[in-house]
Amino acid sequence: MDLFIQTIVNGIIQSGFYALASIGLVLVFGVMRVVNFAHGELVMVGAYTVWLVHAQHGAPYLFTVVLAIILVTGIGLVMERFLFRPMMNDPLGGLICSIGVLFILQVIATYVGGEGPSKQVPPPFEGTMVIMDSIRIPYQRLFSICVSAAALVTLWYFLTRSTLGWAVRAVSMDREAAALQGISTVRISMVAIGVGAAMAGLAGALMAPLTNINPHMGHNVIITAFIVTIVGGIGSLPGAVIAAVLYALFHTFVTTYFSGTIATISGLLIMVLVLIVRPTGIMGHRVSE
Amino acid sequence: MGFQLQQESRRKFLKQVAAGAATVSAAGIIPSRAFSANKTLTVGMNIPMTGDLAPWGLPGFYGCEIIANNINAWGGVTIGGETYDLSIATYDHAYETDKAVQGMKKLVLEDDAKMVMMLGGATVAAVLPWATRRKVLTTTLLPSDITPDSEYLIATCESHPLYNVTGVEYLAREFPDAKTAVIVTNNDVEYGLQSTATYQAAFEVAGIEVVDTNLHGFDVTDFAPIVSSVLAKNPDIFCMATSFYVTPIMEQLYHQGFTGKIISCTLDYYHEIIQKTSVDFVNGTIFQFPDFDDPALLESGISFPDPAGFDAAFRKDHPNDWSAVAWEYPVILLNWLENAKAAGSVESEAVIAHMTNNKQEFVFGGGDWWGSQLWGLDNVLIGRWPVVVVTDGKARIQEYGDLAGWLEKNKDVLTKHMKNLGLRTI
Repeated sequence: MDLFIQTIVNGIIQSGFYALASIGLVLVFGVMRVVNFAHGELVMVGAYTVWLVHAQHGAPYLFTVVLAIILVTGIGLVMERFLFRPMMNDPLGGLICSIGVLFILQVIATYVGGEGPSKQVPPPFEGTMVIMDSIRIPYQRLFSICVSAAALVTLWYFLTRSTLGWAVRAVSMDREAAALQGISTVRISMVAIGVGAAMAGLAGALMAPLTNINPHMGHNVIITAFIVTIVGGIGSLPGAVIAAVLYALFHTFVTTYFSGTIATISGLLIMVLVLIVRPTGIMGHRVSE
Repeated sequence: MGFQLQQESRRKFLKQVAAGAATVSAAGIIPSRAFSANKTLTVGMNIPMTGDLAPWGLPGFYGCEIIANNINAWGGVTIGGETYDLSIATYDHAYETDKAVQGMKKLVLEDDAKMVMMLGGATVAAVLPWATRRKVLTTTLLPSDITPDSEYLIATCESHPLYNVTGVEYLAREFPDAKTAVIVTNNDVEYGLQSTATYQAAFEVAGIEVVDTNLHGFDVTDFAPIVSSVLAKNPDIFCMATSFYVTPIMEQLYHQGFTGKIISCTLDYYHEIIQKTSVDFVNGTIFQFPDFDDPALLESGISFPDPAGFDAAFRKDHPNDWSAVAWEYPVILLNWLENAKAAGSVESEAVIAHMTNNKQEFVFGGGDWWGSQLWGLDNVLIGRWPVVVVTDGKARIQEYGDLAGWLEKNKDVLTKHMKNLGLRTI
């Protein structure tokens, strides 16, 4: 029973990362119809920022989390202005550009961090919360899930209660109709990639003390983000959050009771199955031509 | 008499390297071949210097650079009447097989490398046909790369993962109440499974029951579920066979309150693990790779020249890069140079003939050619291997285990576990 509860706890904590890391991919695709392959590298840049500024130069952790968000948002905006916007009517071109950015960011990370071993960030929040003598939650993970949840709630509030958020959703639903209503699709694209990149930066900054940081860490992130995005419904933000929670719990349970390899293979199989049986995912909807 | 002469020559050579180490360390001399009239002798390193396995490549290059600088500062190395400056040529294959083949050809054909050091595994398997055809002496840290036909492939330092049995012997003797173990490691054939079979054999011989073996892939970003899963079996011992993920696993063990014994093949960057956990938690962890400022390396039988000076020189230039391989490639380099000097030639056939026809001294003492029993060729140099325990936050050698003795008694148990995991044996 203890293992069962601990597994639920592990799964919920993991779901926060999955949701944060996936939401940006969903936003960018929903608004711009571009698959941003460099999204995992945006998470990596967030993690490297914390390693470099906090672990190497002693700046306060929370400050570096904010810095990571600002830096990655900036990178996202540059990508939008100089890559995705010129490729607005060419989704394949945008995709290829994003692959180029992926490699550029990996090389920059190698240059900044040097070759050699993965980087480690000592946890700013030490210690472990013990519940009922057996369920253990490290404070660093507790902090991460709380911040992840707060970020997702803020995003939800922004998208559902603000004019700008409504505009983002409108462009996501029908770009042409939104433009006919006077919504600046260029401006909304900037908002979408800015928010998506900010979420990626935050995910990287939160993951930094909990994982091995290296220039290639975005690879696993993007695979997970794709699974979550496709299962949730491409372009659907609520779908991505629900899929993140479900996938994290599924992956954690299968890893705990069977093996991590089976969990990963099963996750990919589920993605393929969804594409075949229900291409719109959990919350997506079919768009007529 | 011949051996006696070789031994004297060998000691003189090693003293020369050590004296060079002292000179370079004290004066900060960076030798420049611009002022040298010596020819250049190039040794190749076809290793991962970027990517996940860079920690098992790059620090070895840094170590070899120190050795080469020391030798050059002393005036070079004389082989067959010719004095050479030593040059280390590298190729970063990032642990990709096609790049490894390209690197081998570049090092041999363009850089004229007389010997090529490699990490081992798939990259060695990829270069082996070409290297054997060209008769290029190639070294590996993984003896399991050796096949009955790989006559130019030798393992003169690391006998991975055979030496892990010495850690289990120590653990079983010092902590007789520890009776159950779990093994967690990555599921690759070259590192994880070889090491898993060895630990399983060592635990069986020691009377310790393995209650769970968790083999994971390389895509794991969160070790919480894996650690929760195996700790649910209430093991006395947690064993990381040869894991690339020691730091996050140790972190999870700490957070999930594990209080038993921890044994691992490597504990690279253990100071970072201490930063993420605590000194008290990491203290007592058993592994197999010493720091070279360890006083136990000053005892007789250790043939590495000035280990403390080497350790200090390494950490001065690369304070955060010391790993298991930092001293291993230098040991291989020194062994090759000694044999080339004794053979009077830098050509692979002459050097390897001298190596295999003469008694070799292993870096930690002892020295026997082994391997035909498992892989079909006696090209693995084995000897005493250190058992290291973290004590007051520092890695300290507790004893030197008798690997040859263990293998002689228990080879069949090891073979059984290797076959069970589908690993190649003869």
